[in-house]
Amino acid sequence: MTIKVCVPRDAAALSVGADATAAAIATAAQLAGQTIQLVRTSSRGMFWLEPFVEVETASGRVGYGPVTAEDVPGLFAAGFLQGGAHPLAHGKVEAMPFLARQERLTFARAGLTDPLSLADYEAHGGLRGLRRALGMAPTAVVEEVVASGLRGRGGAGFPTGIKWRTVAGAPAQPKYVVVNADEGDSGTYSDRMVMEGDPYVLLEGMAIAGYATGASFGYIYLRSEYPHALAVLNEALATLRARGVYGRSVLGSDFAFDAEVRVGAGAYICGEETALLESLEGKRGMVRFKPPLPAIKGLFGQPTVVNNVVSLASVPIILDRGGAHYADFGMGRSRGTLPIQLAGNVKRAGLVEKAFGVTLRQLIEDYGGGTRSGRPVRAVQVGGPLGAYFDQRLLDLPLDYEALAQHKGMVGHGGIVVFDDTVDMAEQARYAMEFCAVESCGKCTPCRIGSTRGRELIEKIVRGEDVARNHRQLLALCDVMENASLCALGGMAPWPVLSALQYFPGDFGLPEKEPAHVV
Amino acid sequence: MKNDSVLPRGQGRRRGPEFPPYDTATVAAILDRWRDQPGNLLPILHEVQQALGFVPPGAVGQIAKAISRSRAEVHGVISFYHDFRTSPPGRAVLKVCQAESCQACGSRELTAHAERTLGCKLGETSRDGAVTIEPVYCLGNCACSPAVLLDGALHGRVTPAALDRLLAQARRQP
Amino acid sequence: MWSELRDLREGQDLGTPPRGGEPVALVVDGKPVTVPAGSSVMLAAATGRCPVPKLCATDTLEAFGSCRVCLVEIQGRKGYPAACTTLVEPGMVVTTQSPRLHELRKGVVELYLSDFPKEDVPGGWSELHETLQQVGVTGHPYGQGENHLQAPVDDSNPYFLFDPAKCIVCSRCVRACEEIQGTFALTIQGRGFASQVAASQGERFLDSECVSCGACVQACPTHSLVEKSLFEGGYQRAQSPKA
Ligand SMILES: Cc1cc2nc3c(=O)[nH]c(=O)nc-3n(C[C@H](O)[C@H](O)[C@H](O)COP(=O)(O)O)c2cc1C
Ligand code: SF4
Ligand code: SF4
Ligand code: FES
Ligand code: FES
Repeated sequence: MTIKVCVPRDAAALSVGADATAAAIATAAQLAGQTIQLVRTSSRGMFWLEPFVEVETASGRVGYGPVTAEDVPGLFAAGFLQGGAHPLAHGKVEAMPFLARQERLTFARAGLTDPLSLADYEAHGGLRGLRRALGMAPTAVVEEVVASGLRGRGGAGFPTGIKWRTVAGAPAQPKYVVVNADEGDSGTYSDRMVMEGDPYVLLEGMAIAGYATGASFGYIYLRSEYPHALAVLNEALATLRARGVYGRSVLGSDFAFDAEVRVGAGAYICGEETALLESLEGKRGMVRFKPPLPAIKGLFGQPTVVNNVVSLASVPIILDRGGAHYADFGMGRSRGTLPIQLAGNVKRAGLVEKAFGVTLRQLIEDYGGGTRSGRPVRAVQVGGPLGAYFDQRLLDLPLDYEALAQHKGMVGHGGIVVFDDTVDMAEQARYAMEFCAVESCGKCTPCRIGSTRGRELIEKIVRGEDVARNHRQLLALCDVMENASLCALGGMAPWPVLSALQYFPGDFGLPEKEPAHVV
Repeated sequence: MKNDSVLPRGQGRRRGPEFPPYDTATVAAILDRWRDQPGNLLPILHEVQQALGFVPPGAVGQIAKAISRSRAEVHGVISFYHDFRTSPPGRAVLKVCQAESCQACGSRELTAHAERTLGCKLGETSRDGAVTIEPVYCLGNCACSPAVLLDGALHGRVTPAALDRLLAQARRQP
Repeated sequence: MWSELRDLREGQDLGTPPRGGEPVALVVDGKPVTVPAGSSVMLAAATGRCPVPKLCATDTLEAFGSCRVCLVEIQGRKGYPAACTTLVEPGMVVTTQSPRLHELRKGVVELYLSDFPKEDVPGGWSELHETLQQVGVTGHPYGQGENHLQAPVDDSNPYFLFDPAKCIVCSRCVRACEEIQGTFALTIQGRGFASQVAASQGERFLDSECVSCGACVQACPTHSLVEKSLFEGGYQRAQSPKA
């Protein structure tokens, strides 16, 4: 019997040698006279184990990792095709604690399927949501998404169904669905995993969004740093067109939908939805003022749904199982599950899809296993480069939009970056301002000039120049940036700075103090 | 000082400065493919850069004319995005991630190591013309930080020694 | 003074172009004001004689919302919306002056001055100076930092010159070239702190597609773009033009 062996084709897996591992397995099997079916799947999201090889056995899939090409002969000698014991063996994959304690809805297929096999996709529940949606009235589809409580996973957390309602109610035609695939936040990679590992779920979600709101064309605005995702998406689109899922008659209905991938050009600000639209129109990625909302006047001045990749990828299962099923997960006003991405100096870096409410400490310690360096955790940045830095005292906060907001933190796109005790928080604060200066669109003054002045002030404080006055001025500048900027880049760049000042004043040469409000 | 001669958009009376020659036919073929498609400027610039290695300043007028925009508009767009270059890069391009997750895993040291090895700073090309190093802000490989992108190939958990091997390979390329 | 110099403008600059919708009644600084629907809060405030400080807005150009000195408070809204890009709504209650607004506006204007020739701050003969006066700012607390003060003056055009050191990157010139003249000869090049006004591909004005119509000069609030004829014996910073 041919044995099925799975090696991920996810870019992160490739970055640590998955291709070489796959080739070595093919060669070794040939030498051993074993016929194997080598499948290039998506990744489970257990990246510390990549390249992670799975062998299908009678009792389920058994995992080995990290497997380099050099490890392969030894694995064959240990009989890994039969699930044999080996120091790199992790036993039954589904039973691995990192995975077993997750609630995978959006990432249900991660690691299981060949990303480009539509048959695989359908065998694992794919297209059921779209089929059901096409049998409903568009307004009923919108209401199903409203009922799910799904909030945008791109950062702002705006209820997706409410946004769709606005677009559906806008009379102008044509309308567009725009996917925000700019994933610029450091510490995040869930959009990339969806696009490379399960592209059809995104494309299915787009078609549902189009049907619900009356749009028949979509653009995926993909950052140029993701060449692998580009190749997968284009191939997936071609397959959907060939199979009649996309095109003039979506799955045989009289609804028409098609889409195109457009590539960004290296600009963090083009993740902000209005700058993204400008960029799609072929312009400088300058932020537009709102209102008018993109839902009313978006791409080329037309009503436009702008949604994050994970937001749209969560829609098929909502339509398949019903909004209520999705809303059963989570806490308070944060419904459903959140794909959390553990990154930075953490032992077990990877994707954790959990219902809202899990605490930072559980994530970093139980899932992440502490730091990769083995040193104590000193600081954690949640929600990307504009998110606050937390120290040990705040790690019991639950991951929930409202709970984090109380501490000037944010869920953002669900990235958590861990730093050990060698981190210099004054340098991290300086970097936050420098990043804002590098990536500012330059439209508004608080951000365009303020970010550079902020960097200079922090440098002066660190050099010990006129510390009290420059510290005061830095706080005043942060106030102006926060409250006078046009968009959240300038408006939130002060958050990592202020939090670093609050929790780690010693790193700036300022007197240590007990922070006023910790949980 | 009022001058009432209203000229068509982007078609001023002056021809503008002289630019070095470039492969106009390649650019024309790209423009043909994208003509009349909405929002086509970024795709055009990407394809020109892919074909020629950079966007030649002389091509700006040709592109502008084909898509009915002005040279100023096209120049504004090129200069806005970090990806577009207006002069040829080294034979290989190494992008080293500078963002937080990689910082937490030693990217500052890795960057300094790359700069020392190549004898040039971020944004510059090594003297032998082999490698251009550039900053990049997150490659989505944060679970395998620090990360670099060498000519479109992603590498993770990059140690200085691993980087030396990659650079040696890149420098051997003709 | 700039207000006397303000060439060709009749009356007050309302900040944003007039609109012709149905009348909308609102309250600005306690005074009832009625303006056509589609008007900005800035226009309403100007109509009610409570002018809001501004730099990137002028009533010959569409609102842009970049300078952030026109921030106001609106009852029931969080934050500080820009008066130029916020449209009036029936019953809106707007505050244009408060200690908090003053604090923010001062903070913004100080940032401008941190990249503006010091010697040109006193003297007061441009719209920027009018705004400085309105906000009550004469200096900035940042000391010496990165700046554009050494950027060379472009005096290639026979009628006007461009002094980039005095440019506040409000894009009024770029927008005037597009919206009023339709020539599209100007752009902002680069981004963030490096953003700069450029003619065509960053050439001298004379080599660019500029048709010397003067729309940009008229739109410039700092006299960064300024008529040469205003200066006797050649342009120098810190020199007032002859009145
Ligand atoms: C500076 C900045 C960067 C952003 N980057 C992204 C991004 O990379 N991806 C994303 O989905 N949303 C990003 N956003 C949020 C978008 O503006 C917008 O809220 C989102 O695309 C809406 O989709 P959602 O409701 O599905 O989250 C960013 C916002 C700001 C202010
Ligand atoms: S805050 Fe920064 S990025 Fe946002 S509009 Fe202003 S200049 Fe642009
Ligand atoms: S030249 Fe004048 S009008 Fe143009 S951006 Fe600079 S300050 Fe504004
Ligand atoms: S921060 Fe370096 S890859 Fe994301
Ligand atoms: S005048 Fe309103 S932002 Fe400039």
